[in-house]
Amino acid sequence: MKPKVAFYWCSSCGGCEEAIIDLNEDILKVVEAVDIVFWPVAMDTKYADVERLADGELAVAFINGAVRMDEQEEIAKLLRRKAQVVIAVGSCAHMGGIPGLANFFDRESILRRAYQEVPSLADAQPVTPSETTRTEHGTLTLPRFWERVKRLGDVIDVDYFLPGCPPMPDTIRDALAALLSGKLPPKGSVLSPSKNLCHGCPRLPNKPETLAIDRIRRIHEVEVGPDECFLAKGVICIGPATRSGCGERCLHANMPCRGCYGPSDDKSDQGGALLSSLASMIDMKDADKIDSLFKSFADIPGTVYRFSLPASLVQKGNLLP
Amino acid sequence: MKPKIGVFVCECGPNIGERLDVPELVKFAQGLDGVGFARSHRLPCCSDGKKEMVEDIKAQQLTHVVVAGCSPRDHEATFMEVCREAGLNPHLFQMVNIREHCAWVIPDRQEATEKAKALVRAGVRRVVLHEALEDRTIDCVSDVMVVGAGPAGMEAALVLAHKGRHVTLLEKSPVIGGHAVRYEDLFPAMECAACMLEPKMEEVLHRHNITLLTCAEVEDVVGFFGNFTVKVRRHARRVDPAACIWCEECSKACPVSVPNEFHEGLAPRKAIYLPYPGALPNIAAIDYPNCLRSGGQDCHACADVCPFAAIHYDETDVVTDVHVGSVVLAVGFDLFDCRQIPNLGYGRIAEVYNNLEFERLLSVTGPSEGKLVMKNGQTPRSVAFVHCVGSRTPRFAPYCSGLCCMDAFKFSHLARKKASKDIQCFDIYRDLVAAGKGYHGLLDEQLAEGTEFIRTRDPNQVTVEAANGGCQLTIPQEGGSRKLSVDMVVLAAAVRPSADAAKLAQLFGVSIDADGFFSEEHGRLAPVSTTIGGVFIAGCAQGPKDVQASVAQADAAAGKILGTLLQGEKLPLPAITAHADAELCGGCKTCLSLCPYKAIHYVETEKRAEVNEALCKGCGTCAAACPTNAMQSRQFTRDQLFAEIEGLLS
Amino acid sequence: MKSFQPRIVGFLCNWCSYAASDAAGGKKQPYPANFRVVRVMCSGRIEPQLVLKAFAEGADGVAILGCHPGDCHYKEGNYKALRRFAALKRMLDQLGIEEGRLILEWVSAAEGDKFIEVVRTLCDKVKALGPLHVARVAQDREPRRNRL
Repeated sequence: MKPKVAFYWCSSCGGCEEAIIDLNEDILKVVEAVDIVFWPVAMDTKYADVERLADGELAVAFINGAVRMDEQEEIAKLLRRKAQVVIAVGSCAHMGGIPGLANFFDRESILRRAYQEVPSLADAQPVTPSETTRTEHGTLTLPRFWERVKRLGDVIDVDYFLPGCPPMPDTIRDALAALLSGKLPPKGSVLSPSKNLCHGCPRLPNKPETLAIDRIRRIHEVEVGPDECFLAKGVICIGPATRSGCGERCLHANMPCRGCYGPSDDKSDQGGALLSSLASMIDMKDADKIDSLFKSFADIPGTVYRFSLPASLVQKGNLLP
Repeated sequence: MKPKIGVFVCECGPNIGERLDVPELVKFAQGLDGVGFARSHRLPCCSDGKKEMVEDIKAQQLTHVVVAGCSPRDHEATFMEVCREAGLNPHLFQMVNIREHCAWVIPDRQEATEKAKALVRAGVRRVVLHEALEDRTIDCVSDVMVVGAGPAGMEAALVLAHKGRHVTLLEKSPVIGGHAVRYEDLFPAMECAACMLEPKMEEVLHRHNITLLTCAEVEDVVGFFGNFTVKVRRHARRVDPAACIWCEECSKACPVSVPNEFHEGLAPRKAIYLPYPGALPNIAAIDYPNCLRSGGQDCHACADVCPFAAIHYDETDVVTDVHVGSVVLAVGFDLFDCRQIPNLGYGRIAEVYNNLEFERLLSVTGPSEGKLVMKNGQTPRSVAFVHCVGSRTPRFAPYCSGLCCMDAFKFSHLARKKASKDIQCFDIYRDLVAAGKGYHGLLDEQLAEGTEFIRTRDPNQVTVEAANGGCQLTIPQEGGSRKLSVDMVVLAAAVRPSADAAKLAQLFGVSIDADGFFSEEHGRLAPVSTTIGGVFIAGCAQGPKDVQASVAQADAAAGKILGTLLQGEKLPLPAITAHADAELCGGCKTCLSLCPYKAIHYVETEKRAEVNEALCKGCGTCAAACPTNAMQSRQFTRDQLFAEIEGLLS
Repeated sequence: MKSFQPRIVGFLCNWCSYAASDAAGGKKQPYPANFRVVRVMCSGRIEPQLVLKAFAEGADGVAILGCHPGDCHYKEGNYKALRRFAALKRMLDQLGIEEGRLILEWVSAAEGDKFIEVVRTLCDKVKALGPLHVARVAQDREPRRNRL
């Protein structure tokens, strides 16, 4: 009998689901090898189909997306009970991802901004959705919005992490191959090589040993050639503090790395790691010049924790505004 | 294996025992995760105390030890030894400071105890993550190379050779002795320089375990402390040292005449020459760039007259690799070029000299055989010594060379001896520096002998013009200026780094300070070491100094080598070093520029960094910069420090 | 009500600031008990993650104390600390963490008095700023229904 698997998405853009589709022909091999019993985006399956399973009957549950709502947390916990192995797919499930940036704000201000204050609002009298609405046909409910975005690992035990926004086809392929062959690393591992991105970056030969920059520049402010290191031009690239395995696509497309695969060491604080590397490479001794350089770096936490805020020490210590 | 941590709380007599609740602290320690044994002791650092601790560690089969007591800077080493004696790896130990940081500075007993608890908890959490670091050693060569055969270089070579080391002594010029051997006398005692240095020079030339290579330069350096390979180029002298007796016939026959740099250009020499009378080794050398043969001419005037067929035109440079464990750089100094201050007239006015030129005039081995005569052949009746030339100004040398004033006093003394005791001497100065042992006496003598001291705000602002065959100085004074007419002017110029310093620094990887001299490892505490392990500096190469100080530094450098590079033994590597995990390192280059000891190199073929643990001093800055977990600072890893922080605050 | 007692973590380098703290101890001059020390060999070992960890674990203030520029036992470790500190300070600024909670000071081995002054000043400042860890975000309530 084919092993049963399930896919679920929490607070997600759908990109991780597309990443599965991006396996192209290989998806057919997957479909042949397993029995997909639950996949909301692609199949007409219901929660009841999962509830009906015995505990541990699912071989693997693939869950992507951050946990922002009570429904997501419930279903994540449900799938944890029903599955032998849970794999967190994508940055959001792994570290909170882009949705994680919401943790710079609280629930109250987010809802107010989205439903009351945003300039594109057309309603004369803005309405904030409520969890319960009575209608003549019955009571409608909406999931509860948690106070902060959580990682999948914050609400259930996760066996493996597939990093990336989204995980690249090779990352997924290699992980599936490992799963099917049973040759897996220790529980809790991130299924991608440990070396940082610089290792495979085509610009590494031209990366200097020190950065002769006096200010930080945004990508549109300076011309960076296809062989030049972004950091050498003052453009923030999270590559040094990011795990490899993505094939450095962004670098090949002339954009700096944004860190979506997370830090090389999963226990590290990705932002702190990048800041240390950056500051260490800048060859300056004058305290005023150093301050001035970092003053030119707008939105440091948003940049260095772009995908990893809920996983950071900043989050752990609640050092948020 | 499950850890069993032993916590020993030291009472330090009454120091801790009376100021915080030791029994409560012991009880608290006992209750911590991983702690299998906790006790107090009145004074564990005394010999009985240490014995007891050894017994406890063995009897309790402790896997880790924490001592809460005085500062680790006091007794960490003591208790690490205790662990070693008890058969426990000494690095599975942590010292917690509850004396200097608690008992002695928190008057409230309860508050002190609470803080002590937090510190002990931090120590316990940390120690369980310590690695059992092993003592390691590497093979090394105990031979030494000394670059520069002046007073400092020769001294270092001799001290090392006397202790059985083989020393390769390099000298760029054809002769040894540096600048000092070309002086007449040395201050303050007016001792004959050549006489003083002669025994050392003879020994350096003939001692069996000193290989002197003249006309030699360093071309390349690879390796590290204990294992350097230095590529040395010996320029062809074209004269066989075994055959030449310096009969001078070759020189007489040579048709080429050029200024003699060993006489500071005051007299000529031939293209085949001995730099000056009495120079050692007294073997002729061909200055090939000035020899007619280098232009293609088939001149053989010197070979024709040589009675011993010592001349070999076809000799070529020889390049060899020398393997040594340590190097001393003692390349001396160069003098500030006074032409950079045109108003002083150097290079423009005949009778304006710098101090090295004046030294040669006074010296019996010099162009006038020690007779003080001017270029016009006459004996001067008056001399003005201008101090601070090129010194103490941000435009040139922003420092005081510390020697030039003493040179000026010496010159006055010798001028009275060599010219006439009635010679008029003038010192144009800004301040007078006579700080060394016996120095002031020479200044006193000048005052007694009638030297006139003329103070001016900045001697570099003095103007010198030619007048009546001699010189006229215009010396700025408060409210005006003073005109002074003298026969000769001597400029006491700044001591500058040797022209070779920058290249040698680059080859050996040592730093250069803001003034161009080799940078010492630490200004106060390590003045002859550099940040490059095994490379030492001595003499004026480190900064301006007199012969006494140069010799002292040479002794120091030799002593350091004798103490760290032991013959017949391997080099111990420190345990607390950094280490880059080859599997984890992605080669992002973050760490490469950070190491002051150049202990990190980049393995180009594998795109990763690697630490040479023989050079690493364990500061941890590379590990701090590393954005991955590849670079770890042993005993100060992120995990260990995280655990300590958790313990302090939980 | 017991007044707020801040918890401060100090990262001290073995050769200068830790030696100064020992010297201060030797003089037996009292200073606030709030200051807890982590010893490193060089201030160059200090990186943003260590400081963030301290704040995350409950510190209200953090001090990095190293050797004066030019005096570092390892030549320039303190300059590296300075750069990393500047980067982190700017980020903490943008996170709304008050100026004065994280400090970097140079204290030489002979400056036991300066060490005490630095500690006292920091403790007073952080005390005045109040606890770092206020409940900024309301707690999540239980799920509305348990559908299973």
